[in-house]
This record gives sequence, C-alpha cells and structure tokens, in this order.
Amino acid sequence: MSRPAPSLDERERLEAFEARIARGEKIEPGDWMPEAYRKQLVRMIGQHAHSEVVGMLPEGFWITRAPSLRRKLILIAKVQDEAGHGQYLYHAAETLGAGRDELIDALLAGRAKYSSVFNYPTLTWADVGMIGWLVDGAAIRNQLMLAQCSYGPYSRAMVRICAEETFHHKQGKEMVMTYARGSAHQRAMAQDALDRWWWPSLMMLGPHDSDSPNTPQLVRWGIKTKTNDEVRQEFLDEHAPELMEAGLGLPDPALRFDEASGHWAHGPIHWDEFWNVVKGNGPLNAERLAARRQAHEDGAWVREAMAAYATRERETA
Amino acid sequence: MAAAAPAGQGPRWEVFKQDAAGKPHQAVGSVHAADPEHALLMARSVHARRPAAVSLWVAPADAVFAVTAEELEAAGPWAVEDGGPNRRFLAFRKTSHRRAMTFVDHVGEVEAPGPRAAVAAAMVAFPEPPALTWWVVPADDVVASPEEEAGAWFDPARDKTYKQQSAYGLLAPGKRKRVEDG
Repeated sequence: MSRPAPSLDERERLEAFEARIARGEKIEPGDWMPEAYRKQLVRMIGQHAHSEVVGMLPEGFWITRAPSLRRKLILIAKVQDEAGHGQYLYHAAETLGAGRDELIDALLAGRAKYSSVFNYPTLTWADVGMIGWLVDGAAIRNQLMLAQCSYGPYSRAMVRICAEETFHHKQGKEMVMTYARGSAHQRAMAQDALDRWWWPSLMMLGPHDSDSPNTPQLVRWGIKTKTNDEVRQEFLDEHAPELMEAGLGLPDPALRFDEASGHWAHGPIHWDEFWNVVKGNGPLNAERLAARRQAHEDGAWVREAMAAYATRERETA
Repeated sequence: MAAAAPAGQGPRWEVFKQDAAGKPHQAVGSVHAADPEHALLMARSVHARRPAAVSLWVAPADAVFAVTAEELEAAGPWAVEDGGPNRRFLAFRKTSHRRAMTFVDHVGEVEAPGPRAAVAAAMVAFPEPPALTWWVVPADDVVASPEEEAGAWFDPARDKTYKQQSAYGLLAPGKRKRVEDG
C-alpha cells in the first residue's frame, strides 16, 4: 500500500503554515499544523518534561546533607523549580492533545526518554554545584534556543524556565568558585566533580549534526532554531574559559582555543558511552526509574483521597 | 455506586495570574487538581514561586472556549448560539507574536447565550488591537484566590531573594571576591 500524496488542499495548508513560520508568527493550539510537527513536538516536550522531573532526583538526595542552612534553602528552591518546570512542560504537551496520565505512564513504563545526564551519580556535595554550573549551563543554552521555537506554548514555557534557571546556574557557579578557592580538599572535590560532569554535559546537547538527520526539518519548522553542534559551541565558548579562570583543569587534553575561528574546540566525544546511557545502561537508569515509580505509588493514596473529597463535595453541594 | 476508577492526575484547570493591581490576569498555563481549591493551591506552587503575583484565577480547562484568528477566518460566517438566557463570560485575548511568558490577557466581560456568541460579542466590544487568539470563560466557572488572604498567599515569595539570579551579582571567576558560604 502506498501513502496517498498530499491533496492540493493539504499542500496549500503546508505552504501557508511554513510561510507563517518564516514570518516569525507563533503557532497556537487550534491552528493548523502538519501531523509530523505535532508528533515531533509531543515527543520533544514530553522528554523535556520527564527530564525536569527525573532531574530532581540527583539533587534531591543532597537536601538533607547540605552543609549550611543557606545552601539547603537554595537547593530546596532549585528542586522545587525543577518540579514546576516539569509542570510547565507537561502543560505545553497537553495543548497538543497528549494526556497527562498518558505522559506519566510512558515515563514510568520506561517507554519515554529523558536526558541522559541524570543517569550519572552525584557522589559528593561538590557535584551539586557542578550540576548547576555545567548541566544547568548547558540546559539554559538549549532552552534559550527553544524559547525562539515556533510553537507558542513551548516557547512560553522556555522563556519562563530560562528566567528561573539563571538562578540555578549562578548558585552552582558561586559554589564551585568558592570551592576552587578553598582548601586543598575543597579544590580536589571541585576538580573531581568537573572531571566526572564535563563530558556528560557536552553529550547532553545531543549527537553531532552529521548524526542528526531530522535537524534540517526541525529548523525549517522552527521547532529548533539552532543545531546541536551550534548550541554545544555556545556552551563550550562560555564555560571552558571560565572554568579555567576559576583554577580548574578540563579533562580534555585536546581542548584548545582556535584563533582562526575565535571559538574553543573540544576533543572527540565518546558517543558509545552516550548511546549506552540513552539505551538504558547508564550507571543509574534503573535506580532513577525505580525511584519515580516508588514516588508515584507512594502518592496514590493522596490522589485517591483528593478525588474522593472532590466527589463528595460535588455530591453534597 | 460503581467502584471509583484509579485516581489519576485529576482534571485540568487553566491558571490566570495577576502581577499587580490594575494589570490584567494573564493565562500562564494549567495544573491538574481535584477541585478549585486544590487547583488554586497547585497554581500558587507552580506559578507564583517568585514575585510578582497579587491574585490567581482558575477555571476548568473544559469551560474555556478558545478560537484562533486562523480558525475564525476558516470558519467563514461565525455561527452563534441563538436564544437562551444571557450568561456572563470573561474574555481574554492574545494580540502579539512577540516572545512572551504569558498567553492571553483578560480584556473584560461580555454577556451572551453561549461561548460562540460570547466570542462574537467580545470582537465587537474589544475590537483593537485585533486578536490572534480569543478565550471566553463563563464567569461562574472562574474561582479566584481569596482577596483578603493575598498577603499570606503571595508575600512569602518576596523574601526568598536567594531564588533571584540578581542575588548572586556578577560572578567573574578570575576576580577575587568574597563569597559567603557555609
């Protein structure tokens, strides 16, 4: 069976849709969109939402272990923000017809992906700072790009998230800078955290453009406005010099500043490790999903009680 | 009575936030909650963790009638509900493609027998600037955060300055600067 060619009407609609995007208009719920645009957005926004939710786990572990009340308040606020960001994003996916229960089921059943970077362990308190500086730094670069996205609800979620994530980035940078100037032990902790988080942070921005066959279509439809390698370059140019100025060494012997292009260049990325983590074999994939399922099951009685209360209020009103 | 289905995330509620007295309530997103009171508490946790907010409204997502300029154009002559008693609708619109944090803004109220007629009435009552998206919501379906408790609801967010990136100043790794830490 062959696929029917798009009807004239469909082709005209596609042309009008692409013209709207070329004019910089935002597509809103209710507007016509190609099915492939809708599907791609549901997949991307769903993964993004799950990443925010799973992203609470590596840091949440450290809330009770924070070294001061100030750091504890900051970390609680940051983890609350990640929960909120998950909510903003689930909302954006729902405007495309995806159901909240369906999205959450896909995460809990292991059918949906989330960012590979959250499958690495947080071994010391310095990791909390390094995640803020590097992982949130990389996420902000990606999210500033997505804030330009052609789909209104996703763009709005990104604008709000970027405004809040700047705090995550800065508190992490402040913490790492403090450790980098601290005792020999603190400096060693910061360096160890950087050694472990540097490559996962570069990888989390996704495969090279040469291995991302869908990127041109995503850029044409304004779902992405920059390629993975372009965003990675921005991340590298911002972070490599600052980490070195802070007195830390980057775990990449091939890292260099290229005078000709005015950009930093990194050595080869071990994509085997990236794909291995994406496929579920990272250090903590199983633990992260188990923790999410446990939290979901532990909350079941609360959801049941809320629903029962609401039903009773309606029936006795 | 039939056994209750396993409780999921509950129905969806649209959330409208007002940043300051005199400014419009703006659509900021949605939350899932069992009832309006729960929806307002969820809305505060999700959408008012930072200043500024002075009031929140929630409405069941099902009660919102939304239509874009593109849909209005494609629909041709806009058929409205005939007859029936008039009801109050709150009207909201989006007027710009600029990048933003919020969607439709509250513009005012209209009376109409149904949501389609309410959109038609809103277009007459609020013609400028032209809307890219209209929302109309029956006024009876909108529940507001308690005005007399606004301080208790929204003031705590103001004191948590450590959530603001500005609290960290300019962090230049090369420069020696005293950084307080525990």
